[in-house]
Amino acid sequence: MPNVKINPDDIMIRLRGLKKSFGSQTVLSDVNLDIRRGETMAIIGQSGVGKSVILKHMIGLLQPDEGEVSVDGVVISTPKFFDTHTIRRKMGMLFQMSALFDSMDTGENIAFALREHHPELTEAQIQQTVTDKLKMINLVPEFRTKMPSELSGGMRKRVALARAIALNPEILLYDEPTTGLDPITSDVINDLILDMQSKLGVTSVVVTHDMVSAFKVADRIAMLYKGRIIEVGTVEEIKNTSNPFVRQFITGQRKIEVEGTVPPPVAP
Amino acid sequence: MSFALAPFRFLGKMVVDGIENTGEICYILFRTVKVLPYARKNFNLIVKQMISIGVSSVPLLFVTSIFTGMVATIQAEFQFRNLVAAKFVGTAACKMVLIELGPLLTALVLAGRVGSALAAEIASMREKEEFDAYLVLGLDPYRYLAMPRFVAFFTMIPCLTIISNGLALFGGWIVCVLALDITTYSYYTGMQYLFNPMDLFSGIIKSFVFGVTIFLLGYYHGLHATAGARGVGLATKNVVVSSCLMILILDLAVAAIIFR
Repeated sequence: MPNVKINPDDIMIRLRGLKKSFGSQTVLSDVNLDIRRGETMAIIGQSGVGKSVILKHMIGLLQPDEGEVSVDGVVISTPKFFDTHTIRRKMGMLFQMSALFDSMDTGENIAFALREHHPELTEAQIQQTVTDKLKMINLVPEFRTKMPSELSGGMRKRVALARAIALNPEILLYDEPTTGLDPITSDVINDLILDMQSKLGVTSVVVTHDMVSAFKVADRIAMLYKGRIIEVGTVEEIKNTSNPFVRQFITGQRKIEVEGTVPPPVAP
Repeated sequence: MSFALAPFRFLGKMVVDGIENTGEICYILFRTVKVLPYARKNFNLIVKQMISIGVSSVPLLFVTSIFTGMVATIQAEFQFRNLVAAKFVGTAACKMVLIELGPLLTALVLAGRVGSALAAEIASMREKEEFDAYLVLGLDPYRYLAMPRFVAFFTMIPCLTIISNGLALFGGWIVCVLALDITTYSYYTGMQYLFNPMDLFSGIIKSFVFGVTIFLLGYYHGLHATAGARGVGLATKNVVVSSCLMILILDLAVAAIIFR
């Protein structure tokens, strides 16, 4: 677990009463969650339960049907909020499938947003930043000429992470960062997530169903179940929870220990 | 009762869908035109698209245009044989190629080649979350993805049409000289006879319209493709079918306006 000082009253991302449906399918029914500045919060839950949907609300890619999302004190979940550009400049996101720009090489993927947002930078400064970011994810500068199609899944994730931190964000969102990777490569990504927190002091939200990863990188873990957050706690609290739904998930049991309906939601 | 109402329901849905789709296509055009002032700043992206859409289509166009010109000339000669002087073969070929065959065939061939490629590319980008990646990085996908392609389609399709016109007339000349016993002089003077610059301009004006149409339909179907290989396949099929249909309709509309 990372060792970063976190103030429990300093909330970076706040979700209140979040509701979202796609057609007739309700994905989020009442999500309440606070993410503190500087902490790494892992959101766990079964596939298709709506974890990535929460993440997309945090960065304004989706608007809730009801409820409120605020980032660094600014409510972004209103149709009247047009300044998504400023909020997104504070945030970086690592996508599940990396989402590298296929037509650009690695260096250009990292430099592209930098070049567009900072026209005052010289080409030498941009190339230096690319080198720095590649070093930060433990890749040699020669990687800049590789095309995304030449990279393995783990490498693509690392380059996508370098691109996400190119604009020095304050918040990093990770959508299933270890999905599809072998355990060793997954651990490399986990170490990078920890590095980002300790070196850059970023607030991180990691959406995952990989419990090894969640236990390693998170300060706190929240469990999403049937559209609601049913448990929030530190890694130790989650490991020792008595909540049967959380126990079922973290131990990977098919059958639940105590039969019941949907568990009550917890306070954020 | 509900069975009797079914055709009306179907018709109503078609109308509503049609209005919805047209609205969305207009929105794509509006968002793309809005970021046109950035064309100079992102000129490198435009050049890349111009090469991919324009330069790489020339070999295919070379073959289709020459053969089209050859067939048109043979047909003209066959229809006019023993009726009019041989030089009118050049006149007929020139009129046919410049007014209709050049722009129309170029647009239809390119709808298949670059329209479907555009839809497949956009569909694949959307599925791999590249669109979201642009947004997350604070970049407007219309500026970096739509605008360069729009400019490339708008400029390259008229250029390709002019090349196609030239190649088709060249194909006609080959047939005249090698197979029809019509001299170069005859063919050339025939082309000049009754030539009206409006013939050439009308074809070029049409090709601008066709270029925008193929872009809009390719982009729209790419954005609305469903996930997976089947989704991409459907999107490419839809863009070819709808583009060909729209090209034929617009061809009629533009012709009606210009040649009234």
